[in-house]
Amino acid sequence: MSARTQPADAASRGTAARLVLAALRPVVAVYGARWTLLPPLTGAAMLAMLVGAVIVAPREAIEGEVQRIFYIHVPSAIAAYLCFSVVFAASVALLWTRNLRFDAVARAAAGVGVLFTALTLATGAIWGKPIWGVWWAWDARLTTTLVLLLIYSGYLLARSLSDRGDVQAARYAAVFAIIGFIDIPIINLSVHWWRTLHPDPIVTRLPGDMALPTSMLVVLMLGMAAIMLLALWLMALRSEVEQIGVRGDDLRGEIDRREAQRSGAG
Amino acid sequence: MNATTAVLLKDLRLLWRQRSGWLSAATFAAISVLTYSFALDLATGEVKPLLPGVLWVTFLFAGIIASGRSFAAEAEQGTLDALLVAPAPRSAIYGAKLISNLIALLLIEVAVLVMATILFNTALLSAELIAIMVLGTLGYVSLTTLLSTLGSRVRSREVLIPVLALPLLTPLLIAAVRATGGALDLPTGGEAWLPLLAVFTAWSALGSVLLFPFVAEQ
Amino acid sequence: MDYLEFLFAGFAVFWAGLFVYLLWLQARLRTVQRELQRLEERLAESEREEAKEDEAP
Repeated sequence: MSARTQPADAASRGTAARLVLAALRPVVAVYGARWTLLPPLTGAAMLAMLVGAVIVAPREAIEGEVQRIFYIHVPSAIAAYLCFSVVFAASVALLWTRNLRFDAVARAAAGVGVLFTALTLATGAIWGKPIWGVWWAWDARLTTTLVLLLIYSGYLLARSLSDRGDVQAARYAAVFAIIGFIDIPIINLSVHWWRTLHPDPIVTRLPGDMALPTSMLVVLMLGMAAIMLLALWLMALRSEVEQIGVRGDDLRGEIDRREAQRSGAG
Repeated sequence: MNATTAVLLKDLRLLWRQRSGWLSAATFAAISVLTYSFALDLATGEVKPLLPGVLWVTFLFAGIIASGRSFAAEAEQGTLDALLVAPAPRSAIYGAKLISNLIALLLIEVAVLVMATILFNTALLSAELIAIMVLGTLGYVSLTTLLSTLGSRVRSREVLIPVLALPLLTPLLIAAVRATGGALDLPTGGEAWLPLLAVFTAWSALGSVLLFPFVAEQ
Repeated sequence: MDYLEFLFAGFAVFWAGLFVYLLWLQARLRTVQRELQRLEERLAESEREEAKEDEAP
């Protein structure tokens, strides 16, 4: 999005930068048209997903109709990971460039990621009650998802307790987000080892383990596309809110400065 | 004398001067073990399987209470700013804090082990257990030391640090509790808990040293 | 065996969550936009007054 402001030391770097910019041009064009493209595309895809999940997909033989939750549950989980990757990338970019705009993007992505994690847990619990007989079990995947929810809620809490324009707090939160993201594989491994101690015969029948028939796979892919678009739209919307908020804070500071100056002079 | 040793000596002196703060963390740990022993004894006759969990929860909370204070005094008195313009490398500032926190917490933890040996009627001062304890403590102290650099401008930092630290420490808690259980001849599931603990500790120490310069920048 | 009530509950929670979030976001966007506009007007006004004061003496 924004080029690094350091002076280029060689002509080759200028050429490389120009090449990167040229490659990014379609991305920038799509980004510029996000408010006209994303809402209708997302709406259409979400509707198609709903129709696909409820009507088109065949009834699952073992679990029955309730298995249709799967078509919103799995894409939500993957959308959450997409959001957290954005938080990670934006945090790295913030530390690298010191541009507070990336902090707004990271905050936006963390908020949307927490929403999708919560939706994943909620739909999973509603599916788990009839199929496993319990709302919640300390299964590996469930535990990892819950820990993710806690990490990114903590991130949002830390960021909301400090001022939006506080550069130091933004850097602190970025470091926390980076540590948290790199922690995910270790959390996954530890939780997996811990839970294989008590293998639950029903848990092993998770949807991921079965070979899906084509019609189910198509509906799932449609759901993925729809929810990815939705996640992108929500992130764009939320980072717009955050950035306008930062600009408002800047203006307020500017007005205060002017008024103090005038009352000092007069 | 170079800058690194000077910073380390300063932190050790600070450790001694702030001993009342550390003593309150130690008192908290002692009361916590006492209460666990009392409450669990009411609930069940077989407390040994619960012991690893009791020990590590106590260690983690005592560590978080203590580490939360480690940069607080520096931030309040403004010595952190002076420290950051000093010629010492950032990693030395972090390392000195880490070492002084580690020393204080290991002392607290040994005292907790002695107390738990008496209260829970289980021999806890073995070489294996001490090794697990040192490894795990290094792992969580390196993370909590990094997280405690939270600027003084952030409100309710005392609550925030545990909320941020504990989810990140999930793998450490699982691995340390299982490894301690193994040292006490409890079933562990046979996974390589000690290597996992070592990997987590190496990861958190390395990550914290690399990322500390970014949070401690003016 | 189909647990249709659970299927319905799952979809209801999902869509309700999304719509509530979207409505909340839209409301916040409108609030911050209005706030920004107000601030910009105030800034312009104070700039005008400053210019007037500069001319006066």
